[in-house]
Amino acid sequence: MKFSIQRESLLQPISQVVGVVERRQTLPVLANFLISAKGNRLSVTGTDMEVELITSVEAQVDSEGEVTVPARKLVDIVRMLPEDVNIGAVLEGDKMTVSSGRGRYTLATLPATEFPATDQVETLEVIKIQEFKLKNLLDKTSFAMANQDVRYYLNGLLFDFHDGTLSTVATDGHRLAVCDLDIDLGVSEERQLIVPRKGVLELSRMLSEGDSLVELALGKNHIRLVKGNTVFTSKLIDGRFPEYKAVIPKGTDRHIKLGRGAFTQALQRASILSNEKYRGVRLEAAGNSVKIIAHNPQHEEAIEELEADLNFDQIAIGFNVTYLLDALVAIEAENIVMELKDANSSCLITADPPAQDRHVVMPLKL
Amino acid sequence: MKIRQLPDHLINQIAAGEVVDRPASVVKELVENSLDAGAQRIKVTLEQGGKRVIRVSDDGEGMSRDDLALALQRHATSKIASLEELERVATMGFRGEALPSIASVARLDLSSRHASEKHGWVVRARRGEVPAAEPAALQEGTRVDVEDLFYNVPARRKFLRADKTEFAQVDQLLRRFALARFDVGFELEHNGKSVSVLPPAGGEAEQERRLQRVMGKDFIEHAIRMDDQRGGIALRGWVAEPRYNRAQADRQFFFVNGRAVRDRLVAHAVRSAFQDVLYHGRHPAYVLYLELPPEAVDVNVHPQKQEVRFRDARMVHDFLYSTLHRALAPAGAGAVRPGAGLPGQAAGPAEAGRFAGGGLAAAYGRQPDMNLPVHEQLAAYATVLGAGGAAAAVQTGAAERSGEGPVPPLGYALAQLHGVYVLSENDQGLVLTDMHAAHERITYERLKRRHAEGGIRGQRLLVPIDVRVGETEADLAEQRRDDLAGLGLLVDRSGPESLVVREVPALLAQSDAAQLLRDVLADLDSLGRSGRVEAATNEILSTMACHGSVRANRSLTLAEMNALLRDMERTERSGHCNHGRPTWVQLDMATLDRLFLRGR
Repeated sequence: MKFSIQRESLLQPISQVVGVVERRQTLPVLANFLISAKGNRLSVTGTDMEVELITSVEAQVDSEGEVTVPARKLVDIVRMLPEDVNIGAVLEGDKMTVSSGRGRYTLATLPATEFPATDQVETLEVIKIQEFKLKNLLDKTSFAMANQDVRYYLNGLLFDFHDGTLSTVATDGHRLAVCDLDIDLGVSEERQLIVPRKGVLELSRMLSEGDSLVELALGKNHIRLVKGNTVFTSKLIDGRFPEYKAVIPKGTDRHIKLGRGAFTQALQRASILSNEKYRGVRLEAAGNSVKIIAHNPQHEEAIEELEADLNFDQIAIGFNVTYLLDALVAIEAENIVMELKDANSSCLITADPPAQDRHVVMPLKL
Repeated sequence: MKIRQLPDHLINQIAAGEVVDRPASVVKELVENSLDAGAQRIKVTLEQGGKRVIRVSDDGEGMSRDDLALALQRHATSKIASLEELERVATMGFRGEALPSIASVARLDLSSRHASEKHGWVVRARRGEVPAAEPAALQEGTRVDVEDLFYNVPARRKFLRADKTEFAQVDQLLRRFALARFDVGFELEHNGKSVSVLPPAGGEAEQERRLQRVMGKDFIEHAIRMDDQRGGIALRGWVAEPRYNRAQADRQFFFVNGRAVRDRLVAHAVRSAFQDVLYHGRHPAYVLYLELPPEAVDVNVHPQKQEVRFRDARMVHDFLYSTLHRALAPAGAGAVRPGAGLPGQAAGPAEAGRFAGGGLAAAYGRQPDMNLPVHEQLAAYATVLGAGGAAAAVQTGAAERSGEGPVPPLGYALAQLHGVYVLSENDQGLVLTDMHAAHERITYERLKRRHAEGGIRGQRLLVPIDVRVGETEADLAEQRRDDLAGLGLLVDRSGPESLVVREVPALLAQSDAAQLLRDVLADLDSLGRSGRVEAATNEILSTMACHGSVRANRSLTLAEMNALLRDMERTERSGHCNHGRPTWVQLDMATLDRLFLRGR
């Protein structure tokens, strides 16, 4: 195998692919890229057996072939080369030599046959969606995913195709975020897929705010995104996501309307004096104001008072301030509404006027 | 096949299977009989580890000629007479099975002389036959000779180990008796050689000598004396501070009303009390005596009476836990240990207890003049080292000292070593302190205290957690719903074999609630209470403490180091970090002198 390529055309794709390569491995070949040169294209693959990213670029291929090389080392070398240089690579025996100018770097390789190939993806349905819309769906909800929860199905994001709508839903058991996209994507039947945490974060990294169409292939056990020269594949979590619609409160009669910016900043300030582990804050709403109170074990206290629109007398309720802030950051509107039933029931936070995303937070008993 | 009544001899052999399985168990039964007979001195003689001969003689009240024959009958006993008496047994035995059982598997000579008789009588039981008693020359008391154990039960004989092993078992057993009954003298002879002689120990000093013989000198030097009593139950004895620990659980003696037991409940209570001061995988050492009214404990649950059942298990567990936990609390920097190169080196546990007590009071700062023990030691120290040594010690420390106060237990900081250890000087010599470990404990105790003040906060769950359990567990969870809620777990039953958790303690919101619930239920079932939630909480606090403490390679000024040392003296359990590693070590002058071959 022998090819040459300009530094910038190589750096962009390999920097992207290295994101899926885990830093620590038990299986050595997983620390490597699969590089294959064919025709006039060079394709680079990285995988951690759960997600796989393939991207290809144009290159001058002198002889075809494929091999695996240490991913991080290659990225570091290419990154540190001067701009706009030409990079040549040649495979000799089991070593690949990367050369540029007067520098030569000989890397150890592993045969391409050892590289785990993705299982055959049975595609059930292919949809096309504008990039920024998909990104929005992910960004509004992915922060609420669980991390290493024993309920493995919570460690991911639900893509729920129903009634001509695509909803993404994430919950860690304490709070939930849901975002709806009301366009007909032409999905023939109702479908639920849970994309694992790592796949979601990687997808979100790949997508930009552009409005070009990307292709999403839904398989039985995989989801695949094709964007330009890049193909991203992730396994799905095999499990049943909780009935999220049931936990979103409906018809609650107590509403508090608040300015999002002021509320967020007040919460951030008050949180400094909340318990560092469970971060409890107390909201006391009465008349036309909301008081935020935080205490910590050192008996320090923070009190903030904000003007608010209430349609009821008063309520006092506790929350983990992190959950509130996460929701408030995701909502982009100027005003928000908190819908409450009582101090023990879930609270719904939405933009005012309502937008695509809704957030549910369980109270903390203080 | 016809059903037959078994012959007595066979019944005895079956009973013997439960009670007698090796020489040590024969000795146990016989010594217990001697103790019940009010013996003051008991002598045990063995040959070939007891396989050949076991002889137990005592100076107890003895038996009359009539009793002698009856004693070898099954279910014949002088110890209890009615069900009421069984319910509050105060004697060691009561089943009336030991002698006939032993007689059925060995050649047994039972000789005894009652105080009222002129001469003794002997009965020689062979193969279950009990002939009439013959006259015998004997001192007042009883003597039992057991020869050729299991001569007629080859299967059992095959399971006997080497002489040495069997002897070691008996030896260990007698140690246990010796600790249980200080007022009785014990003597052990093996193959014609006297192995140990323990005279009755009346006074405190003699008791400590016996304790030292049995438990070793190290134990005594680290022992904290316990003497607590509450609501009719009392816990006495000695427990070693956590820095004295063992790889095996071989220095653990627990007596319930004078009876050595191995009880699960007791073990659990002790283990919980040592939680987070004992290094992982190490075992504590203790000799403890639990005394409670005989009717509050049922000893009739195990043929060898190794297990007991407490009427109010929860109360006993709580009492043990809280008493031990409190006793161990000051076992840290504030507690002045005897035996650190001071004249009080041979100080018995009594003094250890007193010093430790003083340390506790000082740690809380309740009594400002409680530095008294240190004064005493200072004086003692001066006399030993001569005025010069003491003066030098005062001089070097003078710079940091304000006024004429006594030197605090951990002394004044001198320097920091490689950013890891704090070196300080106190009256005894040099103190090395692991800065991170010490600070970790201080932070941890502070977090625990604050957390306890705040109470348990509940985090409601948006997606309740389903937990699959057995039906009995589900029933239990339903019955103890309020107790669970008190722990911060709001649990409802959702089916015959499933529970649903609706709320968890806020601090544990990220942990595996299903596993926690199962563990808590298992504890509730077996022990009546559960410390799991507390343990899990402490674990999180411990991690927080670790992150919130000064790390190695952070250089501290003298003022900061002194502040750390003073904090340690005030903090409970500061002798060990959260993982049970020691936080400080004293190198006294004697040890240092030895390093330089001085004063030889």
